[in-house]
Amino acid sequence: MPKGKLFGLSTELLKKIGWTAEGLHEKSRKLIITNDEARLKFIITKTADVTAYVEYGAADVGIIGKDVIVESGVDVYELLDLGFGKCHLMMAVPKNKKRPRLEDYSHTRVATKFPRIAENFFAGRGMQMEYIKLNGSIELGPIVGLSESIVDIVETGTTLRENNLEEIVSIMDSTARLIANRVSYRLKFERINNLVTDLKTVL
Amino acid sequence: MTGILETPHGTRDFLPKEAAAKRVIENRLAKLFASFGYEEVVTPTMEFLETLTTSGGHSIESNLFKMFDQNNRTLALHHEMTTPIARLAASRLKNFPLPLKLSYNTSVFRFRKNQPQRQCEFYQAGVELLGVSNAFADAEIIALAAQSLQVAGLKDFTICLGQVEFAGGLMEQNNLPPEIQSKIKNAIERHDIVELEKIVDALDLEKSAADSLKKIPKLHGGTEILNQARAMSKNEKSLRAVDNLAEIYKLLKNYDVAEKINFDLGIIRDFEYYTGPVFEAYAPNVGYSLAGGGRYDHMLKDFGSDCPATGFALGIERILTAREQQGIFEDARTREIYLGYAENKIDAAIKKASELRAAGKIVELALNPQTKDDAEKSQAAKNYGELIYLEG
Repeated sequence: MPKGKLFGLSTELLKKIGWTAEGLHEKSRKLIITNDEARLKFIITKTADVTAYVEYGAADVGIIGKDVIVESGVDVYELLDLGFGKCHLMMAVPKNKKRPRLEDYSHTRVATKFPRIAENFFAGRGMQMEYIKLNGSIELGPIVGLSESIVDIVETGTTLRENNLEEIVSIMDSTARLIANRVSYRLKFERINNLVTDLKTVL
Repeated sequence: MTGILETPHGTRDFLPKEAAAKRVIENRLAKLFASFGYEEVVTPTMEFLETLTTSGGHSIESNLFKMFDQNNRTLALHHEMTTPIARLAASRLKNFPLPLKLSYNTSVFRFRKNQPQRQCEFYQAGVELLGVSNAFADAEIIALAAQSLQVAGLKDFTICLGQVEFAGGLMEQNNLPPEIQSKIKNAIERHDIVELEKIVDALDLEKSAADSLKKIPKLHGGTEILNQARAMSKNEKSLRAVDNLAEIYKLLKNYDVAEKINFDLGIIRDFEYYTGPVFEAYAPNVGYSLAGGGRYDHMLKDFGSDCPATGFALGIERILTAREQQGIFEDARTREIYLGYAENKIDAAIKKASELRAAGKIVELALNPQTKDDAEKSQAAKNYGELIYLEG
């Protein structure tokens, strides 16, 4: 389970199908919360770490945004689109510095938390860019002259507007996904498949 | 000066204890392969790039370690052994009587970023059976894979058996264009079920046909899966695939490994050359497959010598990890005798050590004369079972 925006929605959804545990809330200081009766262990991690736990099989299944899955490039099974956590990844530039075509930004600097997705996107269009990896407040980049543009996730667009940035191209849409480790999927197929079926009925 | 003490990305050292454990497993596997009549071959560590990419290997090209020879031809380190053995079978072994039963044990190389238990250089042992296209050959290969894991000491493992022609038939049955077929195959291989459903929903298919395609990665379980799969097959190719699995399973019962087998028609494997039954082996708490293989009937044709083939490879490091997970910590090093001696017994000590070694004992001869006290200390520190001391 990822801390942050997806946590509440995920636990609520899982609770509907009886997958819950006493004391399972985000403010809990415990890292692992167990429900012995239901044979469940909830591991609470930072958002970007969920994929690692699942890829290595330390967790059998996890809930995480599609954007994080693609950026981490991990080899996990993607079983279900949970529909929530909707956002999209896009490129934005300061309103007053817009250029006519996307190609006109070639060889400029782009600040992003998602360098891998950004590079795939631009490389697919024959564009080389200079990627500056930031870990937060991406929109600062163009304001202070660190970069010409940003590639970031947007939910409502408020942050963009407040910072006089304008989206010029959408890169990918993202929602929360149920993921599974490839071996767990086979060795615990019945439980995992039931989880998928049950979740489908409450989505 | 840190550089000179590092090893390149994705490579590792095996210290004596690790190397001993690896050697024990490799020896047991070699013995098992030989007991089935498979003979070991050794091929060059590097091949011409075009050899390795001949049979559907283009997707792997960017992961190969490459270099140039003196004529500027591109060479690459072998990334698996199936392709080099196919080359060998189509060239120097071409006129040997079939079937060819070959085995190998070597390191292979693939460039990749950090991934679980996927080093750039890693060790594989496996077999290839060339020249036979029947289910009997596939059953032998699968049984041998299961027995390999058993002789390696693993008790808890599962082999999941699929058939690539099943999904292939379902796609042909719906007349899907090749680019859609490869997208669907890719989504099934990665088990990206969200993507699979998206692709299928975008096609204009009848509901039952669409549902069948979406169901492929969920066809997992015992023999009941074969009945479900048969009911979904409205074409010759898929039906043949299901019958083939049933036949293999029937044979596997005689090998006493049927209880280790599950069916999983979502297994397609990541090499493009597979044409029939395919399988992967898993153990609990190890997040990746231990072994994998299957039938590849077209590869030798790509080398100019049409011949059906099947085989498997297992990852030595992954087996070592699985052994640890299953609590097998035996120290494979044997330290039998420590031989110490007084100042005036050097000659006698060398003779004694030679005699003992000739009799099959493992003997460490002290490199300097010692007092008995010191010899006892050395024996204990080095963990030898027995001390022989020649007094002055």
